[in-house]
Amino acid sequence: MNIEQILQAAEKILEPWNKETLRPEANRVDIVMQADDLHAATVALHEAHWGYLSAITGMDLGVDSGQMEALYHFCSGPAIVSLRVRVPRENTSIPSIADILPPAIFFERELSETLGFKVAGLDESDRLFIPDDWPPDVYPLRADFSPEQATPVAEKHVEEIPEQGMLTGNTFVIPIGPQHPALKEPGHFQFTVDGEIVTGAKMRLGYAHRGIEKAAESRSWFQNLYLFERVCGICSHTHAMAYCMGVEKLAQVEAPPRAHAIRELVAGLERIHSHLLWLGVAAHEAGFDTLFMYSWRDRETVMNLLEQVTGNRVNYSANVLGGVKCDIGAEQAEKIKEGVDYLETRIRHYLEVVTTDAMFLNRTRGIGSITAAEAERFGLLGPTARASGLMRDVRIEAPYGAYVRYPVSLVTRTNGDLEARCEVRLEELLVSCFAIRAILDNMPDGPLTVRMPRKIPAGETISRVEAPRGELLYFIKSNGGENPARVHVRTPSLCNWVSVLEKAVGRQLADVPMLIAGMDPCFSCNDRLVSVVRPHGSEILSWTQLRKLGIEYYSR
Amino acid sequence: MNTLASFFTILIYPAGLTLILFGMFYEWIDRKLVARFQNRAGPRWFQPFADAVKLLAKEQIQPGIVNPYLFFALPIVAIAGASTAALYVPLMGFTPPSSFSGDLIVTLYLLSLPTMCVGLAGWNTSSRFSLIGATRALTQLFAYEAPFMLALLGPALVAGSWQIGEINEYAQTRWLILSQPIGFIVALIGLMGKLELPPFDAPEAETEIVAGALTEYSGRGLMMFKIGKSIELVVGLTLVSAFYLGGLSGIGSFLLKSVALLFLMSVMQTLFTRFRIDQTVGLWWRFGAILVLAQIVVIILWKGYMP
Repeated sequence: MNIEQILQAAEKILEPWNKETLRPEANRVDIVMQADDLHAATVALHEAHWGYLSAITGMDLGVDSGQMEALYHFCSGPAIVSLRVRVPRENTSIPSIADILPPAIFFERELSETLGFKVAGLDESDRLFIPDDWPPDVYPLRADFSPEQATPVAEKHVEEIPEQGMLTGNTFVIPIGPQHPALKEPGHFQFTVDGEIVTGAKMRLGYAHRGIEKAAESRSWFQNLYLFERVCGICSHTHAMAYCMGVEKLAQVEAPPRAHAIRELVAGLERIHSHLLWLGVAAHEAGFDTLFMYSWRDRETVMNLLEQVTGNRVNYSANVLGGVKCDIGAEQAEKIKEGVDYLETRIRHYLEVVTTDAMFLNRTRGIGSITAAEAERFGLLGPTARASGLMRDVRIEAPYGAYVRYPVSLVTRTNGDLEARCEVRLEELLVSCFAIRAILDNMPDGPLTVRMPRKIPAGETISRVEAPRGELLYFIKSNGGENPARVHVRTPSLCNWVSVLEKAVGRQLADVPMLIAGMDPCFSCNDRLVSVVRPHGSEILSWTQLRKLGIEYYSR
Repeated sequence: MNTLASFFTILIYPAGLTLILFGMFYEWIDRKLVARFQNRAGPRWFQPFADAVKLLAKEQIQPGIVNPYLFFALPIVAIAGASTAALYVPLMGFTPPSSFSGDLIVTLYLLSLPTMCVGLAGWNTSSRFSLIGATRALTQLFAYEAPFMLALLGPALVAGSWQIGEINEYAQTRWLILSQPIGFIVALIGLMGKLELPPFDAPEAETEIVAGALTEYSGRGLMMFKIGKSIELVVGLTLVSAFYLGGLSGIGSFLLKSVALLFLMSVMQTLFTRFRIDQTVGLWWRFGAILVLAQIVVIILWKGYMP
């Protein structure tokens, strides 16, 4: 089936509720519908097994228009169908679809907390993303928001763990995070345990909020590149790549082939670095520190390669709008090949370790198994989904950039347990190694960049790339100005959380860190949303004040 | 024994200072070996001493809801239990300073004291991490204690004595590791369980329960528990090498055999992934206890039929 047929199939399913059909891009169809019809339309798409819910983008269309819009993006292969729902700003009620698609709960929380959509049946007693002392009825992504409105409400500050949660009969609550040895990034989980068995799970995100989406609206297209690169410290390249490709699409500029090749090369190296980092963390959570130390030692090789290519170890900054910054010469290509050869032997070794080491298998085999049907229902993405036998990989489903010329093969397993996830991730690295060699052997010649206009023509685009953790989706809207009107980022970790919360219940407490690590969570990615104040502070600090405070604090 | 000599025995040698220094030295060997096996640089030789000085000098923070007497007494009891056990073992290959018939059983109980104290400490501080850690520590105690005791009973049976000194003398003429290999393996792994070393470190699994039962301890209290553990390490190594590795006849054989044993333990710490607590219990009762019981039965039959 080609894209057109897939889209027509969706249009046919959605026929009864369709008010207007828009074609913003070749691979997209927008169906405008009434808020009341949303639930029925989602049921129809879900029952017809048409794609999966990838993201929900909320937009404030401005005070003048008096309307807000929610876009429900469903993806199937390269085709995207967005259900557009417009509601007046005064009455923003929309129905919930979380009963059909569980991951929607996170997207709906985002809509409700940042834009003030009133989602039916959503528990608003606590918050997932924005700080607890954020004032009520102030929504940071609304067009008429001003920072003065965000004065913290002192009495709204709730204790994270109420004292009475400590001991009630045989069960009590084990808090994990925001500061905990198992977490390298801040997040908060409450696991109710009965002895060693977990009977309940709850989570809270938002400890690393930086308000990037809001900040993007006041920066130029070029400045934003550096902002989005900093969404994540591990997969910064894929974020920059997704943003660049989206903006290039809007500007109708095509980056030169050499730039695309270098982008894929850096993405491949980044994947190796990310998955080796993950392997170490997973091994440490299981209490196998030897594997942790060895995999991180070998990760240094790829870090050095990245530094050599881009000049940076963490935020590589390889992309610019319209191409890439760094070129790869013959000498560098040799060094990369050498490094990749070494890494390949090591990755093969680790693949053997995770599949044969009896003690490690004790902690991974048959643990947290997710069937393909469950994975589909949870809306999983990336290696977590592929370990359950779901063929979900943007690089293959909807090849972008250089992936058309240098394709990668799909790695899947069917067990869906932690062992399968280890295997999928490591085998993916072998695939990445092959791709890197193919690129180096057949590097296209030509310029690195093309000229980009300063103002991007009005329009909307969706840019999807495969980050190490799964599909990364950028929704970019331009009003034809120097700044974007709205950039919405949906990171893969957000979609995978459901799997942890659902699978932890009934397991041993000792398996919980492994389950969390099993989906390779990236808290910084989740937490890019909005925050102007410190999570628990009660004052807004400027950069100079903050710096002064830091110096004073440590000179004591 | 006059008073001065008693003081010397308790404070300087073999209990007290010497024991503590030995404990730290062995702790350093263990840490260094594991680090080298894991491709790390590892600590310098004085690191355990530096840790001790630093922690002992630090304030001990007492949580609001604990029983203060218990909170302060438990580390002392732990260290005292382990040090007292040292009086009955042939430390450094010399005859034990104190000895009576049946001291093997007393020593084994004294060696369990630190773990009991850790369990109580976890219960007393009533932090959730501590509670889970304490439950795990005590669960693990019930798992390894019986097999470990049975493993040390084997040499006692063939030596025909319950006195550690006498068993040591008996063992010097023959290497019991050859005739009772199962007992040796169980004793070695039991010792690792006792010391909560990986892969039996579920009671202090940092990725789940931070520092387990000792989460609320800091400064002096924490250091005393740590010193207690180091002493336990030395005493345990002495016991196992005296019983199974051809006895301890002098300082040379003591150092050689106990360090060899420690080396073996470091290798196992490096190789294995942490057991979940249910897996630990399963391992001990399904394999450890049954195997060692079978060996005891064989020993008894052998002794009965071939006097």
